[in-house]
Amino acid sequence: MIEHAYLIPLIPLAASLLVLFGGKEDPHSPMPWVAIGAMAVCLGLSWTIFQGAASGALALPYERNWEWFSFATTLGGKSFIYAMPVGVLIDAPAAVLLVVVSLVSLMVQVYSVSYMHGDPRYKRYFAFVSFFTAAMLGLVVSSNLLVTFACWELMGLCSYLLIGFWFERPGPCEAQKKAFMTTKLGDSGLYVALLLLYAKTGSFQLSQIRLFFEHGYMPAAVATAAALGLLLGAAGKSAQAPLFIWLPDAMEGPTPGSALIHAATMVAAGILLVAKTYFVFLASPVAMEAAAWLGLLTAFLAAAMALVSYDIKRVLAFSTISQLGFMMCALGVGGFTAGLFHLTTHAFFKALLFLGAGSIIHAVHTNDMRLMGGLSKKMPVTFLTMLAAVLAIAGVPGFSGYYSKDMILGAVWEHNRLMFGLLAFTALMTAFYMFRLFFLTFWGEGRDHDRHHHAHESPGLITAPLLVLALLAVFSGFGLSRGHLVERLLPKPVAAHPAAETAQAAPRPEQSAAPEAARAHPADHAHPIHHQEAEMPAPLASAVVALVLGAIGLAFLLYRGPTYPIADLLKSRLRPAFALLDRRWYLDDVFLALAALSDRVAALAFWIDANVIDRVFVDGWGLLTRVFAEIGNALDVHLVDSAVDGVGGLAADLGAGLRALVVDGQVQVYLAYAAVFGLAAAMLLML
Amino acid sequence: MLNLSLLTPALALAGLALLILLADMLLPRGRERWLAHLAWISCAGVLCLLVRGLGDPAALGRGTLWTVDPFSQFFQTATVLAAMLCLLLSLDYRDLPRRQAGSFSALMLLSVSGLMLLTAAHDLLLIFISLELVSLSSFILAGFERSHPKSNEGAMKYFLFGAFASAVMVYGISLYYGAAGTTRLDAGAPPDPLLILSLLLILLGFGFKASLAPMHFWVPDAYEGAPTPVTAFLSIAPKIATFALLLRVYGAFFPAGRYGLQALLGLLAALTMTIGNFTAFFQNDVKRLLAYSSIAQAGYLMIGLAVGTPLGLQGAMFYSFVYAAMNVGCFAVVQAVGREGGYGLDAFNGLAKRSLGLSLAMAFCLLSLAGIPPLAGFIGKLYIFAAAVESGQYALAVIGVLNSVASVYYYFRIAQRMFLREAKGEPAALAVGPYVYGSLAAAVAGVLLLGVHPEPLIAGVRASARLLP
Repeated sequence: MIEHAYLIPLIPLAASLLVLFGGKEDPHSPMPWVAIGAMAVCLGLSWTIFQGAASGALALPYERNWEWFSFATTLGGKSFIYAMPVGVLIDAPAAVLLVVVSLVSLMVQVYSVSYMHGDPRYKRYFAFVSFFTAAMLGLVVSSNLLVTFACWELMGLCSYLLIGFWFERPGPCEAQKKAFMTTKLGDSGLYVALLLLYAKTGSFQLSQIRLFFEHGYMPAAVATAAALGLLLGAAGKSAQAPLFIWLPDAMEGPTPGSALIHAATMVAAGILLVAKTYFVFLASPVAMEAAAWLGLLTAFLAAAMALVSYDIKRVLAFSTISQLGFMMCALGVGGFTAGLFHLTTHAFFKALLFLGAGSIIHAVHTNDMRLMGGLSKKMPVTFLTMLAAVLAIAGVPGFSGYYSKDMILGAVWEHNRLMFGLLAFTALMTAFYMFRLFFLTFWGEGRDHDRHHHAHESPGLITAPLLVLALLAVFSGFGLSRGHLVERLLPKPVAAHPAAETAQAAPRPEQSAAPEAARAHPADHAHPIHHQEAEMPAPLASAVVALVLGAIGLAFLLYRGPTYPIADLLKSRLRPAFALLDRRWYLDDVFLALAALSDRVAALAFWIDANVIDRVFVDGWGLLTRVFAEIGNALDVHLVDSAVDGVGGLAADLGAGLRALVVDGQVQVYLAYAAVFGLAAAMLLML
Repeated sequence: MLNLSLLTPALALAGLALLILLADMLLPRGRERWLAHLAWISCAGVLCLLVRGLGDPAALGRGTLWTVDPFSQFFQTATVLAAMLCLLLSLDYRDLPRRQAGSFSALMLLSVSGLMLLTAAHDLLLIFISLELVSLSSFILAGFERSHPKSNEGAMKYFLFGAFASAVMVYGISLYYGAAGTTRLDAGAPPDPLLILSLLLILLGFGFKASLAPMHFWVPDAYEGAPTPVTAFLSIAPKIATFALLLRVYGAFFPAGRYGLQALLGLLAALTMTIGNFTAFFQNDVKRLLAYSSIAQAGYLMIGLAVGTPLGLQGAMFYSFVYAAMNVGCFAVVQAVGREGGYGLDAFNGLAKRSLGLSLAMAFCLLSLAGIPPLAGFIGKLYIFAAAVESGQYALAVIGVLNSVASVYYYFRIAQRMFLREAKGEPAALAVGPYVYGSLAAAVAGVLLLGVHPEPLIAGVRASARLLP
């Protein structure tokens, strides 16, 4: 089936167009099932590819390209025709991600059928979701960085549309703008990196760029610059510090849409981009270190914010940011397998958490956890599935999050002890705030009796996806780590040559020859070596598990209800710290201040423009021009015009003279003229 | 070798003309219009015949007095096409005596058949006979509005001048016979003074038909007096057919360079252009203005002959085809406007308000005549001037360009009146006949298409610029 992999992004794209333009907008439209069917087909295709990869029947990476367009270009003084291909490149991460993305998207869509039912823009919502998924799948399979970038931008557009889906309200409007602008800031970095890579390698083809790196032709400085650009792009999409400010606000969209953004599509794109271009990072230790610290910082800042929030979706948003930080940190320290493994497990349990939260909000009509509580009896399915998800994200042994987080901590332990300490602490915070959410929501008695009374379990179309995802949240970690399957599937790539030593030493061949060579061996860069991921010492691992369980216990003590004396006491004692976290580390304010500052700078520039440039240069130039124009005009009037008049007068006189010859209209005269001319001509010729 | 079959199209047309004359006698009164239709349909049929024979080896060859080669086929096609459009114009021309439609059509067809023979002739005998056929038909056609004094005056002047020119030409032919011992043009006679004198006299005779200065004096009077479709016809068909003859005689048989005529031809070109353009400045009658314009246009064509290179030959061929389209367009509009308001320039005041399409068409044709890109006239002039420059005759090119610039003045006088002046009184809608619209549309399409995309015509001209000896 892998030869039809190009269909995977095209099917949802076609479905989205069909849903968007086919049929009438109707709150009870059956069109969503078209999108769901398309996604099921996609999942089937993806699954066959994944299975082939897992069983070893398929040789990955698989690459197939089609000619797109070609243009003449000059790089480094060499001219050549660059044939831009468009194609699919399916390597191991892509094979895994395809299943994750299509599965989560399918679950989200099934869930949405019930959740969005009756919305006036019901059909459009599904078109957006399908399109979003198509863009993400395109990003996953694309072999061409330019197409990747296009899909990346399309996702930006889709997130804008989904976050602002209820655009009648001011909140979503502001949020969609914020998300779009913030991610755009990151995209500029990606764009620069893209151009830099093209300028250096002469290709947008991932496999060729990779070959270029593996031969060690890439100067370390350029590699670093490109990697930092890619990192900036990833930070925008994957909500790394300090660009994560858009993600909490993105909660304004429909909850299943948030699940999609947080689990399968948008935020995974940044991590995936780093994974796809991992060879660039491997060539630049600086960028790797930057990614690691960026991830760590993000994980910590976000987890701290999650500790104090009472909005259930906000807490989940912070946890997403925090988990993305874990992944970025893992990739940064060289834990390629660990980072992508966590991306996979996180997709399942985070989608579950969001969909569960949606189910709760659906039941109690509020986001505020202080108004919930005691929902376990009212909503047993939601309760159980949420429990599975919370256990998974907290990293309780046996659940999926435990395996991936353990692997990340192992990789970090190997790399840097201080980093390990901070990250382990963040993991404890994760366990704490997730169980805080869990206890506040489900434990004890209903705090708002009216809401509690009306709460009820959601319908089957909502609970069925929850159950599927819950199974995955519980078992995916175990299933993938059994027999080191994940390490086999997602082998850690290594830098073939340390770029620093070979960049200068290696003889530089023809730059245009490099793409040629790469085209001849598209699958040349497969690395058969399996690197075992580093592991923590066993006592340490046990200690971490014990501490996680302790954090859960602490959450139980503080938030089991019915009253929260200790939590309230803490809050009143640590008011400044709480305020700091509540205002999200004042990062929003910093950005606002930056915006205001740029406003002031713009005003200053405008003043300079109006009073200096316009006055001195423009007006002065105008005056000068006028003086010259006056001189030119004088010349024109007195010299040129007189000449023109003279010529015109001459012509007029000539015409009048010629006309005078015939004015009497006598034929005899005409004939005389002709005869005279004939005679004259004859005499001239005879002479 | 007689090879009379080569002349089938021309002879068929002559036969049809006689048929029309015969039918005129038999047809009941009030049915004369049928003959007018028959005339243009005959032209169309002969046109089909010609187009089918284009490039067909069976249709090419030499007869006793005639040579049919791609060159003559090209000019025959152009002539018949122009004549057909003029016949269409005449269908909507009200001032023609209705009862004479048959003789009018027959005369037109006879004249066209004479022109077709002219383009193929390589013997002075046939040339003289066909020229006389054309001339005599034209004299009658020019005076066809017998009740109109101007028409009579024009026809009379035309006739007198024509008689003079014929006499001069016959004298030249007799001298030629004396010098070469034959009337065949391909005798290859050496350039002795007698021969050159005879060539000069023959040239003057041809110049009368092609309206070259100083044989142009009849043109404004005859054009002004003749019925407008006839004016259109006279300004196009005889002129381009005579140019075919000129190109054949003074380009192929007696190369101007070898016989010392180059300076004379250049002088004629310059004189014709200058006199035509500068006299046109002060005309207040549109038909007279266009008459002088057509004299000037003949001057441009003359450059192609004076240059004498293959490029010049091609340029003249291209331009004569384009010229036909431009002039048909102009005269179609003049006929439509003149039907009510007469032919004074004032009749064009505010035409844009009355009929935008008509004034736009007129503007296109006038701009093309003036040689403004991207219209066909520009390409034609470019072709000719480029030939002059290529062969080193810079003076001719400069005079040609200066004349083009000067001509813009009087062409724009009409355009300015159409678009910028107000008509007297309420602008009334203009009644335009369907045939006028048809031929106008064909002409304007030619002017626009050949200007924007001249490649097909250039290719045709290149393929046709092949004269059999």
